[in-house]
Amino acid sequence: MGKILLVARLAARDIRYHRTQAILLLLAITAATTTLVLGLALNGVTSHPYQQTRALTNGPDLVAGYGVNLGSAQGPTAVSAAEIQADTSSLTHLDGVTGYSGPYPIASVILRVRGLTVPVQAEGRGQAPASIDQPKLTAGSWVRPDGVVIERTFAEALGVGVGDRVTLDGRAFTVAGIAVTAAAAPYPNCYLTSCMFTGPDMSSSSSDLSTLNVGLTWVTEADARALASPQAPLSYVLNLKLKDPATAPAVVNQVFANGGIGAAINSGIDSVYSWQDIQSAAGQLVQDQQGVLRIGAVLSVLLAIASVAVLAGGRMAERTRRVGLLKAVGSTPKLVAAVLVAENLAVALLAAAAGLVIGWAAAPLITNPGAGLIGTAGAPSITPATVGLTVAVALAVALASSLVPAVRASRSSTVSALADAPRPPGRRAALIALSARLPVPLLLGVRMTARRIRRAMLGAASIAVTTTGIVAVLTFRATVNHDLGPGGGHVGDPVVARDTQMLAVITVVLVALAVLNAVCAAWATVQDSRLSAALARALGASPRQVSAGVAWAQVLPAIPGALLGIPLGILLFKATDTGVMAIPPVWWLAAAVLAIVAAVAGMASIPALIGARIPASQVLQSETA
Amino acid sequence: MQQEAVLALLAKESAYGYQLRARLQRALGPAGEALNAGQIYVTLSRLEKAGQVTCEREPGLPDRPDRKVYALTEAGRQRVTRWLADVSWPGPGLAEFHLKLIAAGAARLTDPIAIIDAQRRELLRQLRDVQRAAMAEPDGSEAALLLEGIALRLQADLAWLEACEQYWTNHKDDGS
Amino acid sequence: MNDIDGGTCVLRAQELHKDYGKNGGLVHAVQGVDLDVAAGETMAVMGPSGCGKSTLLYLLGGLDRPTSGEISLAGQRLDQLSERALARLRRDAIGFVFQAFHLMDELTAVENVELPALLAGRSPRAARQTATELLERVGLADRAKFLPTALSGGQRQRVAVARALVAKPRVVLADEPTGNLDSAAATDVLRLFDQLHRAGQTLVIVTHDPRVAATADRMISMRDGAFTGQTRLQGGTTGRLGSLAGLEG
Repeated sequence: MGKILLVARLAARDIRYHRTQAILLLLAITAATTTLVLGLALNGVTSHPYQQTRALTNGPDLVAGYGVNLGSAQGPTAVSAAEIQADTSSLTHLDGVTGYSGPYPIASVILRVRGLTVPVQAEGRGQAPASIDQPKLTAGSWVRPDGVVIERTFAEALGVGVGDRVTLDGRAFTVAGIAVTAAAAPYPNCYLTSCMFTGPDMSSSSSDLSTLNVGLTWVTEADARALASPQAPLSYVLNLKLKDPATAPAVVNQVFANGGIGAAINSGIDSVYSWQDIQSAAGQLVQDQQGVLRIGAVLSVLLAIASVAVLAGGRMAERTRRVGLLKAVGSTPKLVAAVLVAENLAVALLAAAAGLVIGWAAAPLITNPGAGLIGTAGAPSITPATVGLTVAVALAVALASSLVPAVRASRSSTVSALADAPRPPGRRAALIALSARLPVPLLLGVRMTARRIRRAMLGAASIAVTTTGIVAVLTFRATVNHDLGPGGGHVGDPVVARDTQMLAVITVVLVALAVLNAVCAAWATVQDSRLSAALARALGASPRQVSAGVAWAQVLPAIPGALLGIPLGILLFKATDTGVMAIPPVWWLAAAVLAIVAAVAGMASIPALIGARIPASQVLQSETA
Repeated sequence: MQQEAVLALLAKESAYGYQLRARLQRALGPAGEALNAGQIYVTLSRLEKAGQVTCEREPGLPDRPDRKVYALTEAGRQRVTRWLADVSWPGPGLAEFHLKLIAAGAARLTDPIAIIDAQRRELLRQLRDVQRAAMAEPDGSEAALLLEGIALRLQADLAWLEACEQYWTNHKDDGS
Repeated sequence: MNDIDGGTCVLRAQELHKDYGKNGGLVHAVQGVDLDVAAGETMAVMGPSGCGKSTLLYLLGGLDRPTSGEISLAGQRLDQLSERALARLRRDAIGFVFQAFHLMDELTAVENVELPALLAGRSPRAARQTATELLERVGLADRAKFLPTALSGGQRQRVAVARALVAKPRVVLADEPTGNLDSAAATDVLRLFDQLHRAGQTLVIVTHDPRVAATADRMISMRDGAFTGQTRLQGGTTGRLGSLAGLEG
């Protein structure tokens, strides 16, 4: 018991004595754990709200679309009323069906508002609430003559609210209300499942890909019928309830296997979708986000590890000497290792707790599953698994950074540990000769880099990781711009909007971590080169030249790191997005690289200037140093 | 040596013979064992003959040298002053310098530290001369070896002076 | 105190004070020191450890700022200069020699020596040239490409002295130059200092080694931050070597 207390006391004193390093370590690991927690919290975020929407709107188990012959050469043609009647009947008599609502007529129209042109399906509904799939109003009131209710995500993308005026196929309508439904996925994914747009294919006449996305609206039945035209005939949608909702996919298979429910059904039945299909289409919106966030988390964890490694290396000399001292006064190697590990463990646990708290608080900001579903994900699930994984990662990072010196220390001989710097600075004759020709700050910077090549490479790697993330974001932006085409005035794609938001968050986190990394590296350099800096001052370098040298020591490895990050970032984007990719313009990339390098230089000057405050005489007079 | 030391021990105040002997014994310790017990009284009578010390017999006490009272004369005082200021080196031995410091401290005639500083300066001058002579010698000369010996002894003496300085700085207020 | 023996005064200090800490922990490292060093003179500052002599030296070299008082080097007031100007001064006019040598471990001897010249902006070739000449002067021309770890203590200190001379300084300031050296190595360094002295270099040496102090023209004793005495060590007691050796005469 006494040993544990001793270890705790020694560890606590060391942390208090080296506050700066402990704080930097805490920040680095907390950033990693926070990103991890956010990534994990996004798991299964939409299944919950979709259920809520389904319950509130009494959502269907099956949605069938039919009533239009899409296969003919002249384009979509209407099907006779008798055929429609027959299809309806056969669908409602499927095995397991316990109820239905509809069939509702769907008119395929072009909506125009504020210069935007969008294909839309207008579902005709009655005033009375339907038994199955009654869309839930979030604003305004239900359909009325010349009044249209718009699906919520679609309304947000259009930027319209209750009371705005729109035209459907030239006819003036007022927005009566905004609603959500579980019978179709929110915009822009409704076309993936139960969409029955029969209008002209607009994509051929414009390069704006958003014209593929069909919006969902509701109008009165009379208005829907009136909006139909020979070129865009009415289609019909039927909502079905099953005895056992879980069997919905099986029923869908049954319908389409072997020609379906008997040969009596003609080819008029276009589509039947289960509620599970719709749920997954709704979930796709956040799946992209999840993927992006996961990549961001990986990058962040990498950066955090780099920071920790730099911090661990910074005090290596002093730590090894301390270990030698402990051994010399009789501690066993195990005790020595225990103290080292205990220090880092304490910080890591604190960081894990901080990461969990911050992640839990910040998650609602990014886990909003989309406007098209009622309800947020709730307080994001901090499951025991999340807690366990986060703590495990934090501990792993901390252990990795303390085990290496601990093992090395317990193996080394006490005498050598006490005697000198365990890793004398490296000599690179070529760099030394080269630096002689350079102006003083560069001379100092090159030589400082050459002394610790491994730390320089670590710094370059960190900048490469950061630049990779930022270039991936830029590539995304360039691709979006390219897809949307020149000229403004297009419907906002909520997926793009969400992704952009998400990527902005990731960029901020990456940049913050990169800044932390730069500060850590600069701090480690200042600690390491305290004597050389004091000596340089004694030999005639001004404090500003020395600080500039420290800054250059960080910038020089950052440049190749940043340049390496450019192709890596583009590759990263390509690996995650299978579509056509647009490479960002050169000046974007140049600006990004310059900004990163400038940030590194700026951040490095802070520890440098603080270190310059200590009078050189103090450092030079100490015997060892 | 002994004469000046004995004189200096009387500078503060007159003293009985046995007191003087006790003082000397305490100062010299084991190194003073070689001194004969009666030698101090022989010195005292010589000094009396030279007129640097007066000797009185206190009434009621036997007529023995250790019970007589001795005191400095003016001539004796002057001799003490000259002795304290003399920095020649090496004298007959370390004991003389040691007693010089004790006497100066006891009688508050001069600050012992000042005596040490003055002696050190003299020794440094001598060391400088020795070093210069040594550097002027060609490599491997026999004379250089002798000079090195002299230099080392001077260094040793200087190290002792440092120790004296340390001691006397801490014992400034010892009136003994 | 101001006992200038002809020649110009290279380094002068007046009423120098340096305090550390505050309130209860206030330490008067240097108290009211007045100092004059003439051109070509070697001055030794002796005193027990902790008496402030090293602090005094760093003040004279501009590596620390006095709490109050004036310092002039070749007529220029050090205590009024900016950090950049002080750096320039250290490049051009002041050379330092430290007790712990303070050579850069990853640079060879000649690379160490040429460093102040490079910091002063001289061309690499000129710097290398000067450095090589100086290494010859201190007798280490054959060790120019050696790393400090391959040199003995005395050799390292001689490299450090060469480094201090690169800028042809007005004054060389040495802080316990033989403190980390054994007797033989110290003798080599002393010989070097003697050479410099004969060549007319002004030296201020802080030491508690009497051999080093004995090489000086003037010796100042210091205790508790203040000067306690000054001695001219010239014109000593020549001719007494015989009696020192034990020869009566």
